[in-house]
Amino acid sequence: MEIVTGILATAVLAGGVLALAALGEVLAERVGVVNLGVEGLMALGALTGIATVSATASPTLGFVAALGVGFLFGCLFALATVLLRADQVLCGLALTLLGTGLAATAGRPYAGSPAKATFEPVPIPYLSELPVVGSALFSQNWLVYLIYFILPIAIHWLMFKTRHGLNMRAVGENPAAADASGIPVTAIRFWYVALGASLAGGAGAYLTLAFVPSWSEGVVAGRGWIAVALVIFAGYRPLTAVAAALVFGVITALGFVGQARGWPVAPAILSMLPYLGTIAFIILPVVAWRRLKPFFAEPAALARPYHRDVR
Amino acid sequence: MGWRLQRTPSAHRAAALTGRILAILAALACAGIVLAMTGRAPIAMGADFWDTATGSTAGLEDVGLLVTPLILTGIAVALTTRIGLWNIGGEGQFGIGALAAAAVGLHLDGPEPVMLLAMAAAAAVAGALWILVPTIARAYAGVNELITTLLLNFVAALLIAWVATGPWRDRTGGALAATLRVPYEMPPLGEAGHWGLPIAVAVAVVAAAALTFTRFGYETRVAGANPGAAVYAGIPVRARIVAVMLLSGAVAGMAGMIELAGTAHRLQGGISNNYGYLGIMVAVLARGSCLAVLATAALMATLLNAGIILSAQGLNTSAVLAVTGLILFFTAIGDELAHYKLVRRPAPTG
Repeated sequence: MEIVTGILATAVLAGGVLALAALGEVLAERVGVVNLGVEGLMALGALTGIATVSATASPTLGFVAALGVGFLFGCLFALATVLLRADQVLCGLALTLLGTGLAATAGRPYAGSPAKATFEPVPIPYLSELPVVGSALFSQNWLVYLIYFILPIAIHWLMFKTRHGLNMRAVGENPAAADASGIPVTAIRFWYVALGASLAGGAGAYLTLAFVPSWSEGVVAGRGWIAVALVIFAGYRPLTAVAAALVFGVITALGFVGQARGWPVAPAILSMLPYLGTIAFIILPVVAWRRLKPFFAEPAALARPYHRDVR
Repeated sequence: MGWRLQRTPSAHRAAALTGRILAILAALACAGIVLAMTGRAPIAMGADFWDTATGSTAGLEDVGLLVTPLILTGIAVALTTRIGLWNIGGEGQFGIGALAAAAVGLHLDGPEPVMLLAMAAAAAVAGALWILVPTIARAYAGVNELITTLLLNFVAALLIAWVATGPWRDRTGGALAATLRVPYEMPPLGEAGHWGLPIAVAVAVVAAAALTFTRFGYETRVAGANPGAAVYAGIPVRARIVAVMLLSGAVAGMAGMIELAGTAHRLQGGISNNYGYLGIMVAVLARGSCLAVLATAALMATLLNAGIILSAQGLNTSAVLAVTGLILFFTAIGDELAHYKLVRRPAPTG
């Protein structure tokens, strides 16, 4: 029992990084913009978090600063892809290279040193005393509650239960029709792309302030790309994305437990599990359950710049 | 009469070229401003770099060593862009190619030319195998190749680090986290160079010729430009996708072998050195043209060399990666703006 609780607690913590970044990507992709810069945004957010905490010793401030940096770079990305309508794949790759390189260069003074302050667990009364899942799910830091409960439900409600959400999805499916019916396509795309990037920056700070918790070059280690893949696997749905992130948290946790308990597998092989798992998860559903294809369907206008003047 | 901007379906060549030059200048200007803001002297650093890099044959040969892998990883990406896809797993295929070459070089014996050929063949096959799953998934299930090829880079890095620090580690030299020195080397060329450069140039020329003059190349280009029309014209699009992506992986793998046998000589964790990612930049700047890759690879090699030379002043290859990202960003914007032209139109009547 104890080992299950241990794995679950680590899984929740590890999956939170992916969940927050994936929620941001859901926002961007649902309005028709694919942001492949998540990896770079997370690197910038991770460094911002560490740097802010080393100056102020406040993890909350570090998280907020990372959200801000993510938002800023998200605005740059949206400026290029939404306003200037440049190629989204190229701009995303550019953002990944820029963010990773910039964070690695600027982060040298912080390399290897642990975070000065981290998010402390805030147990929820009664719930945290539940057997097995109690301490894993309800005895975590407040970001975990935000990422697993508040944000996904809020985004789900916004996207699927409000008129504004309908407009959002219309922009991602058919921007010309949305435009014709008076929905501000450019504005909706711009702000949700920037907001999504902001969450990616926050995911980086979560990584260095709650999960790892220290800065090193390459600390993001492909988690941004795994988050992008999760969004595809989750069929662009916030609740499913968070559930999928938890599954990947479990895979990561299994690797940790395997190393700690000396399973007869090389640690390097265990570290490969999240990447191999991601590849399997985005290939297998398409191959195995063809009837589920509509579930995995991407927004029809995804990655297509909208030109009102070109027909 | 009035003037207005009109978007054309394809970018003008001259406009795209101008856009690239402006993108590079803008990116360097941004980097310079950031350097100046952090209390360094960008102009003096640039001059310093220029003297070191071009002042001697050795400086030019250093660029030659950097340009060789960049040409090949650039070709690897350029090939896939011609069929409308992205292989951004060059970094991993490069490393796996080096790993396969090291495996052959460390564990088999034979005359040097035979061994070098065997290492190259092993590297090409390993590179192609490394991209096999993303290729099949793309061609037959429509799975986005960007993410699958990229994620395998991390798997490759873990595998190489494990092999180089574990099973194959050099236990004679002590502290080195690398394998034993591979006894087979590329034949030297000049003082510090080796035959990798002419081989890379030859690969680029052959790839360009194949794309331009052969039926295979023609079908590849049609499949990339308009997959629907290609299917309608009876071109086996899936088979072409498989062939092009496997070739791309093989070229990236070959690059790893040349780096191992020509420059690094030992398999170690950082052997790919971002060459795979910089290859994306090389291919984008060259607009997918295999001959233009030669020029853009030289440009990126110069930039990388600047990072190495200026590392004494707190720069490193990560800074080069950041500047590369900026160039890519501005190039993407420039490419879109190159679609626009200023046209005259009659003033609206009534």
